[in-house]
Amino acid sequence: MTVPAVLFTDVEKTYKRPRLLGAEYHAALKGLSFEIKAGEVTGLLGLNGAGKTTIMKLITGLLFPTAGIVRVFGHSPADSAAKARVGFLPELPYFPPQIKPGEALFYYGRLSGMAGAELAPAVDSSMEKTGLKPHAGKRISEFSKGMLQRLGLAQALLHKPELLVLDEPVSGLDPLAIHDIRALLAGLNSEGRAIFISSHSISEAEKLCSRVLIMVRGSLAATVTREHWESSPGGLEKIFVEAVK
Amino acid sequence: MRGRGLHLLAAAALTWGAGGFAARNFRSPFPPPSEMRVPAAGATGDMLALALGARRLFSDVWFIRLMQYYGTVEVHDDKEPQARGAAEPAGHEGHHHEHGEFGTGNYPEFFSRARHVLEVDHSFVAAGLYGAASLAFNMQRAGEAEELLRYGLRYSPREWKYLSVLAAIGYSKADNPAAVAQAIAPLLKDPDCPVMLKQQAAFLNKKQGNYALAAAIYADILATSHDEAYVNNARKQLELLSRHEIPPK
Amino acid sequence: MNIIYLIRAVAFNSFFESVRNRFFTLFAVFAFTAVYASLLAGVMAVDQEARVLADFGLALIELTALAYALFSASSALLKEAETKTIYLVFSRPVPRWAYLAGKLAGALLTAALMLIVMGGIHLSLLAFRDFGLPDCYAWALAGTFLKLAVIISFAFFVSLFSTSAVSTLVISSVMWTLGHFAAETRFLAEQAPGLKGAAFKILLWLIPNLQIFNARDSAGAACALGPAVFFSAAAWVAASYLAALWMLSRKEF
Repeated sequence: MTVPAVLFTDVEKTYKRPRLLGAEYHAALKGLSFEIKAGEVTGLLGLNGAGKTTIMKLITGLLFPTAGIVRVFGHSPADSAAKARVGFLPELPYFPPQIKPGEALFYYGRLSGMAGAELAPAVDSSMEKTGLKPHAGKRISEFSKGMLQRLGLAQALLHKPELLVLDEPVSGLDPLAIHDIRALLAGLNSEGRAIFISSHSISEAEKLCSRVLIMVRGSLAATVTREHWESSPGGLEKIFVEAVK
Repeated sequence: MRGRGLHLLAAAALTWGAGGFAARNFRSPFPPPSEMRVPAAGATGDMLALALGARRLFSDVWFIRLMQYYGTVEVHDDKEPQARGAAEPAGHEGHHHEHGEFGTGNYPEFFSRARHVLEVDHSFVAAGLYGAASLAFNMQRAGEAEELLRYGLRYSPREWKYLSVLAAIGYSKADNPAAVAQAIAPLLKDPDCPVMLKQQAAFLNKKQGNYALAAAIYADILATSHDEAYVNNARKQLELLSRHEIPPK
Repeated sequence: MNIIYLIRAVAFNSFFESVRNRFFTLFAVFAFTAVYASLLAGVMAVDQEARVLADFGLALIELTALAYALFSASSALLKEAETKTIYLVFSRPVPRWAYLAGKLAGALLTAALMLIVMGGIHLSLLAFRDFGLPDCYAWALAGTFLKLAVIISFAFFVSLFSTSAVSTLVISSVMWTLGHFAAETRFLAEQAPGLKGAAFKILLWLIPNLQIFNARDSAGAACALGPAVFFSAAAWVAASYLAALWMLSRKEF
């Protein structure tokens, strides 16, 4: 049996906000269980505050679950063995404006444990894949939002991860950039990589994903497969609206 | 990762303590704060000196203030400010700073200000010598000069320069100018030697007919001092000595 | 994975980011101007010009480096969290202890560079005025560096629990001040009876004695910093690092 790329078992996440007297607690995730198979493109839909980013951060080890178990390729997300196989694109990633994209990628490549003869070709390949090569001589301060997103993707691809975790990868991009990124992700998936995308855009999820998880107030409201929404009148949008109402 | 929290915290506390343990024998070389007789206007400066760990810097500031005080119009016993002027005491043939003489007269705060420089940084030997020499040889306040030197010696007990000046003051009180010159002599080549001590030595040597020695000291003043008044006087004296127009003793 | 390689990557990234930062240029200009201003003060000191120039210059170098070091140490981790750069780091196989060590090393490297550059400017000015190398100059800079290392690592620790860079700056500055009062606190501890004395003694263990790093305070005696001084600095830095790691290992982003 293949080890799933991501496995959530009864996961809970409660945020604690310290107050002058005591603390305030907010449950972001409640009893969440799901899995993402290796090589699958899975979408994560939900309204603001549904817990999408929390899930992404739990997978990448930026947050710790309050209860339950999270596994990434069978490891705890905090383990290096798990992190080495995951590439993460946060929403609106930041890069120092005064440097060139190659410099940023070299840094993140080193942090991924790449060195010497391995690093330069990896940077080159990432820039090639994301269409950044013609802009290699520019400083990041000259980059448009779409270019920054491409750079974000490039850093996530550097170490050839088996799972890509993408938080709103096409948010705020122009139609051409969205088209390019969609093509890039389809290409990456065809190489056998699992992709987990959080998005507000139902149409994007429809185009890219084979399965979509719909989150409502910290709980998994529905898991919808492509076959299901393609055979449903009103498609994914109708299913989503009914789930979140 | 979260489980090892307490171990880390305990290790941090122990390591911090080890740092303190290694530093436990350190004793500040400075006089304790209880000895600081701070003039009200300088209290903030002294607090900063302690807070920033910059006592050397602030003792420099106090020394500059001492020299500025000494360079201003003197205060006489009648408390009326009056330009320093006419009378030239024995042993002082020139003028201090831009004025016409070498700091004779009454500067009531001079001693406390000079002592405060040493209270802030006892290692400022040049300031101690400057203060003592000014008090003893310019203002004829040998008692205060001795007190200042004794304070300096309390924190720098092996400072031979203080001892030399203390001896010179003793000989001066005993009216033995030759011994005064002899006591000052070892100090003259020291970079801490205040220029007025050099001038005192030059004057005493000249008075005793040791013109070559006097000329050498004046030449040294000319070469090393930045104090215009002393430099001008040294130049004048060298000119007189070279023309054998030696002023009467 | 080679951990040293990782730490070095974080350290150099942090160092070059500081060097690129416009504030670094601003501080270099400020330091130059300030040291030049000390020349004016030196003129006022007449025959003690050399001492005054050395003291003013070294004090200004220390305070300038302190201001920059505290500013950057206070905001280093906070900025990475706010800009989400830290997501890109901790989603990779970078142990938190290695990241923190790299960040600290980068900050120390920046402080060392600042001291070297400003020391060079200062010595050039002294040479311009025909003054030689002041006594114990290298030891004074070494002491300043150790002091900065202690306070920078403390600021890293504070920045992990304080709510803003400003509060980190304030708390670290207070520690700097208290650290210089340590000798006076010891004096009070020895003088004060009973509870008061005990309280001062406890304070002595909590506050790093920063005066031990003032090499030139011991003028007349040997100004070389002894092994105990280096050990204390290393211990205080390590303690702050461990405490910061304790905070960071529990921290969620």
